[in-house]
Amino acid sequence: MTVEMETIQLEFNDKLSAVDNSKALSDLRVEYLGKKGKVTGLMKEMKNLSNEERPAYGQKVNVLRNEIETAIAELETELSAAAMKEKLQAETIDVTLPGRTMDIGGSNPIDRIVEDIEDFFIGLGYEIKEGYEVEQDYYNFEALNLPKSHPARDMQDTFYISEEILLRTHTSPVQARTLEAQKGEGPVKIICPGKVYRRDSDDATHSHQFTQIEGLVVDKNIHLSDLKGTLELFAKEIFGDDREVRLRPSYFPFTEPSVEVDISCFKCKGAGCNVCKQSGWIEILGAGMVHPNVLEMAGFDSKEYSGFAFGMGPDRVAMLKYGIEDIRHLYTNDLRFIDQFIPTEDGGEAHASI
Amino acid sequence: MQVSKEWLKTFIDIDVPTNELSEKITRGGIEVDDIIDYTADIKNLVVGYVKSVKPHPEADRLNLCEVDTGEEVTQIVCGAPNVQADSYVIVSKVGGRLPGGVKIKRAKLRGEVSEGMICSLQEIGVKEEFVPAEYQDGIFIFNTAQTPGEDALTALYLNDQVLEFDLTPNRKDALSMIGAAYETSALFGGDVKAPESSVSEIDDVITMNIENSDSEAVPFYAVREVKNVEIKPAPLWMQIRLIKAGIRPINNVVDISNYVLMEYGQPLHMFDRDTIGSDKIVTRLAKKDEAFTTLDGKERTLTENDIVITNGEVPIALAGVMGGLDSEVTAQTVNVVIESALFDPVKVRKTSSRLNLRSEASQRFEKGVSHEFILPAVNRAAHLLEKYAGGKTLKGIASEGALNLEPGVIQTSASFINNRLGTDLSHADILETLEKLGLGAEETSDGINVIIPSRRDDLKIPEDISEEVARIFGYDNIPSTLPEYSTITPGRLSDEQSEVRVIKRQLNAQGFSQAINYALTSKKRIGEFTDLSESLALLMPMSEDRAVLRTSLVPHLVDNAMYNVNRQQKNVSLFEIGKIFVTNGQDQLPDEVEMLAGIVTGEQHKTAWTQSFVPSDFYTVKGVLNALFAKLSLAERVSYVQAAPHDELHPGRTAEIYLDDKKIGFAGELHPQYAEDYDLGQTAVFEINLAEVLKIKTGSILYEFLPKYPSMSRDVALEVDSSVNVSEIIDVIKDAAPKYLTDVYPFDIYEGEHMADGKKSVALHLTYLNREKTLTDKDIEALHTPVEDALVKAGYTVRG
Repeated sequence: MTVEMETIQLEFNDKLSAVDNSKALSDLRVEYLGKKGKVTGLMKEMKNLSNEERPAYGQKVNVLRNEIETAIAELETELSAAAMKEKLQAETIDVTLPGRTMDIGGSNPIDRIVEDIEDFFIGLGYEIKEGYEVEQDYYNFEALNLPKSHPARDMQDTFYISEEILLRTHTSPVQARTLEAQKGEGPVKIICPGKVYRRDSDDATHSHQFTQIEGLVVDKNIHLSDLKGTLELFAKEIFGDDREVRLRPSYFPFTEPSVEVDISCFKCKGAGCNVCKQSGWIEILGAGMVHPNVLEMAGFDSKEYSGFAFGMGPDRVAMLKYGIEDIRHLYTNDLRFIDQFIPTEDGGEAHASI
Repeated sequence: MQVSKEWLKTFIDIDVPTNELSEKITRGGIEVDDIIDYTADIKNLVVGYVKSVKPHPEADRLNLCEVDTGEEVTQIVCGAPNVQADSYVIVSKVGGRLPGGVKIKRAKLRGEVSEGMICSLQEIGVKEEFVPAEYQDGIFIFNTAQTPGEDALTALYLNDQVLEFDLTPNRKDALSMIGAAYETSALFGGDVKAPESSVSEIDDVITMNIENSDSEAVPFYAVREVKNVEIKPAPLWMQIRLIKAGIRPINNVVDISNYVLMEYGQPLHMFDRDTIGSDKIVTRLAKKDEAFTTLDGKERTLTENDIVITNGEVPIALAGVMGGLDSEVTAQTVNVVIESALFDPVKVRKTSSRLNLRSEASQRFEKGVSHEFILPAVNRAAHLLEKYAGGKTLKGIASEGALNLEPGVIQTSASFINNRLGTDLSHADILETLEKLGLGAEETSDGINVIIPSRRDDLKIPEDISEEVARIFGYDNIPSTLPEYSTITPGRLSDEQSEVRVIKRQLNAQGFSQAINYALTSKKRIGEFTDLSESLALLMPMSEDRAVLRTSLVPHLVDNAMYNVNRQQKNVSLFEIGKIFVTNGQDQLPDEVEMLAGIVTGEQHKTAWTQSFVPSDFYTVKGVLNALFAKLSLAERVSYVQAAPHDELHPGRTAEIYLDDKKIGFAGELHPQYAEDYDLGQTAVFEINLAEVLKIKTGSILYEFLPKYPSMSRDVALEVDSSVNVSEIIDVIKDAAPKYLTDVYPFDIYEGEHMADGKKSVALHLTYLNREKTLTDKDIEALHTPVEDALVKAGYTVRG
């Protein structure tokens, strides 16, 4: 290394040690390695050398250049790492602040219950049928074995619009219409959810509008035992594995035999509590074998065909399931209420809760 | 129907604990709603003999009674006005208990010792309304001699429990003690004993003649006459049994009539023979506006549908509903006529409900009484009148019409019953069950003929027999199976049903909560947010607020928003899917149209500390709808047209929404005045005809290969009149460059400083793509120049 080279090297080392930012480093690079830089300037000396000396001289300049380049590159890496570190430091945020709000809305609990029930029966091969909320007297009553003189038809319970037009009091007219459309051919397997209306004063347990979901199966050789088996499966699926079902004889004009269906209380598991009024059982469904008059009126041969039907109130199921104290909450659309029904639900620990 | 166990035991030997009786009856199909236990909460209640009564020296209203309670004679202070010496009374001894948690202690009343309490019926748990008039204001006094010290509940026939039957409408057969006994027999076995109804007729022949002028209204009418009755209280057991059945004892004649009613379920009516005013009874339909005073003293105006019992001239009773004031049995009555009849159930129901006179009698006639008990009942009443009123029964029964006493027959078979129930019962099992029910059965070559007595004329078809078998066999014993279908069909949601679920989930995810509102609304909300001005109205609304069926979902959503805002829920977004009702006249079914509506008010998706939120303006609801239409694959077919369709909406911030060429709804901001009326600030709403949207079938997704060549873009900045809608500009662009233009959207709209009045600047971004090759600058030039030319030609200024 020539003296000059050594001078440059020492001077560079000095200057490099003073560099603390990438701008100064870039200037330093220009000062030494640029077109007019000091190292580049050394090469200009070549012309003053003999041919024999040149290769050795050139090699020495290159060694110096490489050393300087390496030193700059090293510092460059170091500086950019430091700069990145500083940037990251500066960009550090408080992750405990709330995230940007993406509001989500809640489902009305009635709708959750209806969808759960629909999904269960779809799994059993049922279809969902919906119908008119304003109905003809015929489909709401007469086709369901409730002729005009029937004592169970109380004007007081029904919102009439005219003598023959009314707000349906149950979703059963959907069954009557569906059966009629089948022209006497089974099988029919349907679930009918929908709004229904009764002439009731609204209070904590009564609503002039509420929801019903009914099921109907008509085919050859449908037995009461099929109804029992289906509802047992339903109770376990919707209310928990260890639910039991109890049928009690009852009366509905459109079924014969008719039964009330109780399920063992999901809260106390049958021990007796306030939900089941200490009985261990909760009355949840009305059901029965489709009355032959209903089948015949819809064009089915009641000797050949039989069927079962059942109905329940999702409002009541929702109130029982969640412990809702006032049916009017279901129709007030208070966000403090609906937004409690945002989360998804599963069966819970061992499918024990409902 | 309230069934006293003590009374029931006179019909059938039954010795099971009350709880077991109740449980089995409930599981057998008659729900026992409640058990009234007259022994509950009572201790140390005995019969006392009042030996003497003298006034309390220090208190006017109190008496000092010397009472023999069997083991001892004690002094009891009594405040009842009717206490008297030489009478048998109910005494709660010291240490005794009475209902309501009352404990009887030795007490001193104004210085006098009282060792116990002489009780009224109310104090031992009898409801005030059933206490006989003579005991209502004082203590109870036995009307026959008793043994002092004996258990008073036993002496009172109140050592008893009463089962309250909640009967379904088909179980009229159990509206009587004998019916309850048959039910008990079916469930527990044992024979049913009919009450004693033998009559000792005297030689005098009955004086009344019967004539039914409408045999449909009154198919059968019979009377007996009993003379020389002595009106007095009925025997204690009869009075108490009536009390337990929920009937207040009056006097022996009236009580006998009610007693037989409860025994057989056959309502009777007792006339005072001497006030009938003739020797004949003619039943007929009332004349229009015929006046009649019922025994409650009220004058009734009758209609041609009411059945009346007349003396040939004027009504003396309203059939099955209430007797007349003039022919009522009174304390002076000596001779009575007992009516036992059959009336048209529907007419009785209409009359009783029109006059609001629902009684034990009318409710049984409404459901139809059993033919087989009509004559036994009238005989039983005569028998009891002879025995407990000293009456003499005249010879014969006067009647007209016919009873159908021939039992009905239902043909069925074991295979039918097993098929309906899913059971495997043998012939013998079924016959045994029928026998328990008291139904006859004959085996035939191909099945079973079931013989139905008239008390069970509710049983009409083979299915009824299957129910009877099921409930006696026990529903718990019926197996659990699943249907075996003749054809297997898949279960699934329809396209429309799936799409509705998708819509609900998407709106939830965008922050909308699901509302469910009432379909009934007030007349004044009709016409809001809709072109419909007519609605379907209820015949008899319960309130003005719920009188008509809604014609738009939005008014109730506005109410919901206001409700929430007024409860510190300032930021509201709600949607509802439901029907509106388009009237076709009151006597026709309306068109029910499924709608989707939504409302946003306040600041949506608000992050307070970043001061960011989505405003509740037109563009927000439009964005929500666009996302929905994109999800439904309809975005390309939906367009928005500036309009001011309804007064409730901001005329400058509302669009009508078109799907292809069909108007399907609107989106807009509430008119500021309307919003203010509902305590709302800036609020946007939408409502679309969901049925129209769901009707469209869009099929599967059509996949396109990804482009191999890059797209190119150009921006255009325009100065246009403020009134120009961006959609017009886009239309011009699309018309001018139909080829390769894949997208055009506005990215800057500016109005204000640096712009001339009435002008705005609109900048748009255009994207061109040729799927076959890379577009060169030259190609773009060739495509884009005609666009700029067209914009100029349209009168817009293209800015540098």
